Amino acid sequence: MSGHGFLLANYVPGGSPVHRSPLWLKFLLVLACGMASFLIADWAVSACVLVLLCGVFLLSGAGAARLVRAVRPVLPVLAAIGLFQWWQLGGPTAARIVLNVLVCVVAASILTATTPVQELLDGVASLARPFRRFGADPERFALTIAIMLRSIPFVAGAYADVRNSARARGLERNPRALVLPVFITSVAFARQTGEALAARGLGDAEDQGS
Amino acid sequence: MTQTGNVVPEKVTTAKKRRASWNATDLGLIAVFAALVAGSALIAAVPVGGLGVPITVQTLAVMLTGLALGPGRAFSAVGLYVLLGLAGLPIFSGGRSGLGILAGPSAGYIIGFPLAAAAVGWLAAVVLRRTAGRSGKIRAVLLFAAAMVSSIIFVHALGILGMMVNAKLSLPAAFLADLAYYPGDVIKNVLAVTIALSLHRAFPDLLLRRVRTAPAGPASAHP
Repeated sequence: MSGHGFLLANYVPGGSPVHRSPLWLKFLLVLACGMASFLIADWAVSACVLVLLCGVFLLSGAGAARLVRAVRPVLPVLAAIGLFQWWQLGGPTAARIVLNVLVCVVAASILTATTPVQELLDGVASLARPFRRFGADPERFALTIAIMLRSIPFVAGAYADVRNSARARGLERNPRALVLPVFITSVAFARQTGEALAARGLGDAEDQGS
Repeated sequence: MTQTGNVVPEKVTTAKKRRASWNATDLGLIAVFAALVAGSALIAAVPVGGLGVPITVQTLAVMLTGLALGPGRAFSAVGLYVLLGLAGLPIFSGGRSGLGILAGPSAGYIIGFPLAAAAVGWLAAVVLRRTAGRSGKIRAVLLFAAAMVSSIIFVHALGILGMMVNAKLSLPAAFLADLAYYPGDVIKNVLAVTIALSLHRAFPDLLLRRVRTAPAGPASAHP
């Protein structure tokens, strides 16, 4: 299952207090940072919160390189927004806007860096449980998540195959030739998966008789 | 008192019935289309036209999911993709992930994806049912209109809102920033429609089976 490797990219194994704190606590931390980003009015406060969160991140043992890697994708956009708002609204407000976004990004990466992917997915699957009385089925939900994860390497492989065959026919600049075969093979794959599930008695709703 | 007691269980059973109509193949389609959106966000951009301007096929995959699966299944597929991306799988464009996305300027676009897929799916089902015997051209034009309307109402409007809330941009500034996405969007929607039509030709029962059996049922029972 080498195709799943990239899904584990964010997690750093460890035994720090941050790793051992429960998922809901870390989720609450992210939620609180999201709320705070609307309430904090002073850029110095958000700078302090950011330093504090960076401290928590480093405390978990994930390392400074990971922290930089988590923040780097948003930096170009934030630089553009910061400069634009500096011009529009002045330095302190621009600093607060940029720092508040960074607070949320760092808080969220604390969650993903210290929680195994499996635990995160179990957390997502458990989201369906409160909706059971409205007809949600947590087991089918978890099954769908599992099929999706297994299908991502298939889709990536299909894109690579189709790209090669399009190049062989001189069609590597034709977007239709690059995308349509991927969707056709994927729909066929989905149907085979559905038939395989049905053959094993999986995936169909339990209370069909009612 | 008795009224509310009557209403609530009825609501539950209708929800259950709707959900029970999804069989194992539907689950497979939802899961694989969620994976398709994820895969399309991860692979390198596709060069388009003579100039070879690279575009990412992520929004193409979102609209195509709606056009292929119809409202309910498309909303579930794209919603599953967004949910798992927010949970921390690196499946958003550029390998980004996590709840931090919701604080960034692109939050509105990502929230708009499932809604746009559901909207275009609903419109596509209506268009395909109404134009069952017509030529492919009318279908293509109507489906393109459906895709454009859905992406403007949901993806672009929510995208602008997201930039206003998270980056504190003014409405005109956010509108101008959003305008940059329109040319790529038009190209992608044209592509999505041509691919969707081919997809429905390859799998005639992908969406239409559910649509056609509805009128066929009473008609066959009529005599």
